[in-house]
Amino acid sequence: MSRIVACYKWVAEEADIRINADLSVDLSKAKGKISDYDRNAIEAAVQAAEALGGKAVSLTFGTQKAKASLKDVLSRGPEEGCWVNGEEADNADSSVTARALAAAIKKIEDVSLIICAEGASDTYARQIGPRIGAILNLPVITSVAKMTFVGETLQAVRKLDDCLQTVEVELPAVVAVLPEINSAPIPGLKAVMAAGKKPVTEYKSADLGVDLTPKTQVTAFKGYVMQRKNIILSGDVGENVAALVAALRKEGVL
Amino acid sequence: MSDKFDAIIIGAGPAGSACAYTLAKAGKEVALIERGDTPGSKNVTGGRFYTYALEMLDEKLCEEAALERPVTHEQFMMLGGERSITIDYHDPSFHTPESVPMSYTILRARFDEWLAQKAEENGALLACGIKVDDLLEENGKIVGIVAGEDEMYADVVVAADGVNSFMGQKAGLIKDLDAHTVGVGVKEVIELSPDVIEARFCLRSGQGAARMILGCTEGIHGGGFLYTNQESISLGCVFMPDQVAQYKKSVHEIYQNMKMHPSIYSLIEGGKTIEYGAHLVSEAGYRGIPSRLHREGFLMAGDAAGLVMNTGYSIRGIDLAMVSGIAAAKAIIRAAHPYEAGPLYMKELENTGLIPSMKKMDGFFDILETPWIYDRVPNLATGVFSDLFSVHGQVPQSIKNSVLQRIKENRLSLWQLAKLGLKGVKSL
Repeated sequence: MSRIVACYKWVAEEADIRINADLSVDLSKAKGKISDYDRNAIEAAVQAAEALGGKAVSLTFGTQKAKASLKDVLSRGPEEGCWVNGEEADNADSSVTARALAAAIKKIEDVSLIICAEGASDTYARQIGPRIGAILNLPVITSVAKMTFVGETLQAVRKLDDCLQTVEVELPAVVAVLPEINSAPIPGLKAVMAAGKKPVTEYKSADLGVDLTPKTQVTAFKGYVMQRKNIILSGDVGENVAALVAALRKEGVL
Repeated sequence: MSDKFDAIIIGAGPAGSACAYTLAKAGKEVALIERGDTPGSKNVTGGRFYTYALEMLDEKLCEEAALERPVTHEQFMMLGGERSITIDYHDPSFHTPESVPMSYTILRARFDEWLAQKAEENGALLACGIKVDDLLEENGKIVGIVAGEDEMYADVVVAADGVNSFMGQKAGLIKDLDAHTVGVGVKEVIELSPDVIEARFCLRSGQGAARMILGCTEGIHGGGFLYTNQESISLGCVFMPDQVAQYKKSVHEIYQNMKMHPSIYSLIEGGKTIEYGAHLVSEAGYRGIPSRLHREGFLMAGDAAGLVMNTGYSIRGIDLAMVSGIAAAKAIIRAAHPYEAGPLYMKELENTGLIPSMKKMDGFFDILETPWIYDRVPNLATGVFSDLFSVHGQVPQSIKNSVLQRIKENRLSLWQLAKLGLKGVKSL
């Protein structure tokens, strides 16, 4: 049976990320979650599996922390989970992540479709889909807002600014989907209960036989504070409006 | 997977997780269903936790539990105008190297997640982010639950879904809330460095304080609480909602005023609020326990069963929740048939001393119902202290006269105070 692989990233919950007074970023209190856009990629894989009569498989590359993602992702519908476990994930650049994922995909039998989100909700680099395609020598379709399957042919609608482009490709292929492709449902009780019993395959990153040394190094990671002008107008309403307009003109807003 | 469990537990708080832990350890098939995305995420409790309940669940659990500071300082504070009196009872025996400390301050988001994980490790199936919508009933028996489009069956359903239990209402065991029997609590977690916390509360390294505060509610039935965590302070206030509704200020405003009191502000100054929440808390004590805590196939535990004790000098709920969760599990394990679980559960609650303890403390409800203890008594006490310690070089009033004058000033009488004292003695 053909397999549809949904790639996802276990990211830090933005609400828990704290920026200290010295602009250093504190991730230590942040819980993990499946990148928001990946939820749609996972749902797209589940729907594609149904359409193709195949099996949806989830795949992630992450540190030990990503183990917590398995129950969550499997409650969203995939029948099997794959996890490339490696500390390299902590400072991986897009090429490292793509290499790790591609190496794992090679180990999964009979893959007909690989689905990524257009970008991850933390970095939004939009590279993983195209890079996996390049490594595996498969066609890549990005910015996909709709997928239809006719036999082994995928018809995908790409959203390009204010145009829609429809393309066709013979499977196997890699697609990068936009969040509007579906509304990922919140898993129900039985789905959550069943998730813990689904099979999970764990690969150690060292056993994949690929170089996971990043070419780009993160040299700084700092909070960004918007400098505000903090202009407060007080007094007569009429004068205030005039003063506001003048101030906006001065700033080049109007 | 079979759709039938030995037990379905609704709510992964201390009651639900303790129940699931005990059942799973005994080899029962247990589903533990939590509405929050993680256990503890919906919780607002202070709080403090008495360790005996965790020891009762399993030996050695205390050693690895997600706890904050062992409480060695029990404090009581009265605020009157800008003045305050704080009584600090320091008891090193509450924390000795030889034994498990009697109580710890805790942050429930961490504690609940840890406890639920322990239940999961024992084999309970934990499902988070799931709201249970209804109970399934067959021939007058509760046989399962409905969550969204899913139905799930069990021999026994345990409602551990907290104060104002929707499951208890669905089962017809409790009515909708009576505003008179619940308080509205607001709580803030304020981050401060351990050094600052220890200096401000005169604590030895790693030790903690628990404080009850009277006179911070602008006369409304209620009071404040403060707990020192490792790197934060939990500060909050509980009010009776029916009285707040008639008052011109919001709960938030009254709470902000309390924070700005000179004696409170100096404790939290420079701190950063990292969490703010509000919740209901049962205030009725023994008489708040529903007349029936079970039906065939259905048990209620923890806050859902009204198991909260407020004496005015301490609040207990988390330990009672765990004890009741364990009692429910034991009853389910012993019951040869689901209909036996209810009566066995009541017997367990009696045997563990939980219900008798609450009965014993019942009198406090009447004392706490005395409307003038929330502003006039703290005013009176701080006024008397002001007279005692004020020296201006004039001939002082006799202490007796000053006390009498302060009583009068606060529109109280000796007779009222004597009656309260008597009531106090009786309920103790």
